[in-house]
Amino acid sequence: MAMHGDSIPGDSIPGYHGCYLRVDLTTGTSERVPLGREMLRDYLGGAGLGVAILQAEGAACVDALSAEAGIAFVFSPLVGSPLTTSAKFAVVCKSPLTDRINDSLASSGFAIAGKRTGCDAIVLVGRADVPSVLVIDEQEVRLEPAKEIWGTTNSEAQSRLKESLGSDFRIASIGPAGERLVRYATISHDGRHAGRGGSGAVLGSKNIKALAVRGTQTCDWADHDGLAEFAKRLSEKSFGPATAKYRELGTASNLLVFNRLNVLPTRNFQRGSFAGAATLSPEQLGTVRKRTRASCAACTIGCEHIYSLDKSDKSGGVRLEYENLFALGPLCEVEDPEIVLKSSQLCDELGIDTISAGGTIAFAMECAELGYLDADWLRFGDGPALLRALEEIATGTGLGPQLAQGSRRLAMEIGHDTIHFAPQVKGLEIPGYDPRGLQTMALGFAVGARGADHNRSGAYEVDFSEEVDRRNVGPEAAALAVETEDKAALMDSLILCKFLRGVFTDFYAEAAEMLRLVTGWDVSAEELQATAQRIVAAKKKFNIQAGWTPEEDTLPERMLRQPLEDDSQARLSSERLQGLIRAYNIARGWTPEGWLPD
Amino acid sequence: MQITVEFFGIPRARAGVTRTMVEGGCLGEVLGCLVQRFPALAEQCIDGEHLRPGYTANLGGNCFVSDPTTPLNDGDTLLLLNLDAGG
Repeated sequence: MAMHGDSIPGDSIPGYHGCYLRVDLTTGTSERVPLGREMLRDYLGGAGLGVAILQAEGAACVDALSAEAGIAFVFSPLVGSPLTTSAKFAVVCKSPLTDRINDSLASSGFAIAGKRTGCDAIVLVGRADVPSVLVIDEQEVRLEPAKEIWGTTNSEAQSRLKESLGSDFRIASIGPAGERLVRYATISHDGRHAGRGGSGAVLGSKNIKALAVRGTQTCDWADHDGLAEFAKRLSEKSFGPATAKYRELGTASNLLVFNRLNVLPTRNFQRGSFAGAATLSPEQLGTVRKRTRASCAACTIGCEHIYSLDKSDKSGGVRLEYENLFALGPLCEVEDPEIVLKSSQLCDELGIDTISAGGTIAFAMECAELGYLDADWLRFGDGPALLRALEEIATGTGLGPQLAQGSRRLAMEIGHDTIHFAPQVKGLEIPGYDPRGLQTMALGFAVGARGADHNRSGAYEVDFSEEVDRRNVGPEAAALAVETEDKAALMDSLILCKFLRGVFTDFYAEAAEMLRLVTGWDVSAEELQATAQRIVAAKKKFNIQAGWTPEEDTLPERMLRQPLEDDSQARLSSERLQGLIRAYNIARGWTPEGWLPD
Repeated sequence: MQITVEFFGIPRARAGVTRTMVEGGCLGEVLGCLVQRFPALAEQCIDGEHLRPGYTANLGGNCFVSDPTTPLNDGDTLLLLNLDAGG
């Protein structure tokens, strides 16, 4: 079906096309909606621009899985530039898991190809009549039936679409989990994932199996020579010691450090260390398995470490990150590396967020062991049970429909006060940083707009510094947490990979310089600091429109009542957390309860 | 004073061992001993008696330290690790 109604936007700014493509899947129409200069300068791109667009679309006040809900694929002024790690895009929508704002970022050629279709974002509203693929080929927008690939895994769907459409198309797809509206389903492309918050379910609810994009429309840069020189320097720095950990070992090298510091969430956050940690560590895996390295598109860091599976596997291996490892290993007390790798691969293929899957299954394991859930096969440490649970989530069989709701909804269904140990904030399962031993991170989790998240608040950096006592954090940490959240908001809107953050000497000044070179704007470090704060506030505003109340800025009761079993000093009271939250809100210039000022 | 040093991440990769014992009364002295024993640590992790940017030390799993004059006690355990804990 061809879609009609395209209009051409007005003049654009270097780095931008000056419009977004709005596709109404119900009516079969599309239009290019101009983006004003003020909006672009205020929100830049990525997560920031996505929130601003969705607010304008009224997305906060509708059900996340309704036809009216919008989902935005947002590029940025830096996409397509020679700047390392800039081939990124944000998927922004209301989360079906949290009912709050969700912005998931990913890196791949999809970002470059998507921007080359001549727009700064692609916004989908409505619902296709039948399972479909949205094809955007330069200016042409059309829906093609997806019957033949409905039910396929991500890699199969992408491979078949490239075969039928052409190898120069870039594909973002959902797996079976997204089709079944698993509330933490992902959107995948070239092996990378917009992972958190269930954007895959939103796409599934619109009957869209995949987006296929192809284009040739490039943006101009304000200062070509200056940008090339800056990009060269940044690439050189990206080979330095600040990124050595990512290059040589990958994020999985956190495992042994966190285990030693008793902040490795284990057995559904009952413990902070895991007896099987050494077996799962990349240091050990690298000695017994073939390991290869890969990079995202346009990246010089190369943080991806791919481990081989057993001899029968023909897939080429599994990309392993710390979060996959923690969630599918220690959190479920599974110590067999083969099971953890297979589970991770399964999540990638089925299109499931590994953190939420691991968190929900670990929670279900505890409920089953306590007799609150009728699943005597589901026990901590049982690797085959973990694999079975993942299959059931994606196929909708057995426990799958319950697990597919995430730990918060599952706890509400089970009752017995199990919500006290459901490992989530605002419905989003907590990543691999125990909040009792990393209390600035605890604050970051509690106030996070999309729920517990280590990518939107880098507050763990404060805990790993001399500025606080990580197990006895006072209100002075609040301003430091704000700083990490602001930096993340800016990086997610420019967009740059956070693994670059260690290479900047003065992040805001250098970010301003690269934005000047790209857009020609006379932008300063101070302006970008204000921009970051504006973006954080915009997310809060979205959440308030969606029904946010101060009571949801908290942590599960378990973390406020019980110290870690293996570290009695890791103790966080409700009073301390509330004091931190109050200090954070005041530091932001919001009311002490967290409302935005009039 | 006998100090146990545990290595993690890149420091472990450079040292080639998981732990070692060294003599030293303060952080700087310990770092200096480590560089002598494991010269590869000087490439990225340690500059003389100072930690290079991107690296940190932790005393006994408790507080993070970087000042070379930080006093150490006999029997202390020092962890040497990457500063960046992002994942």
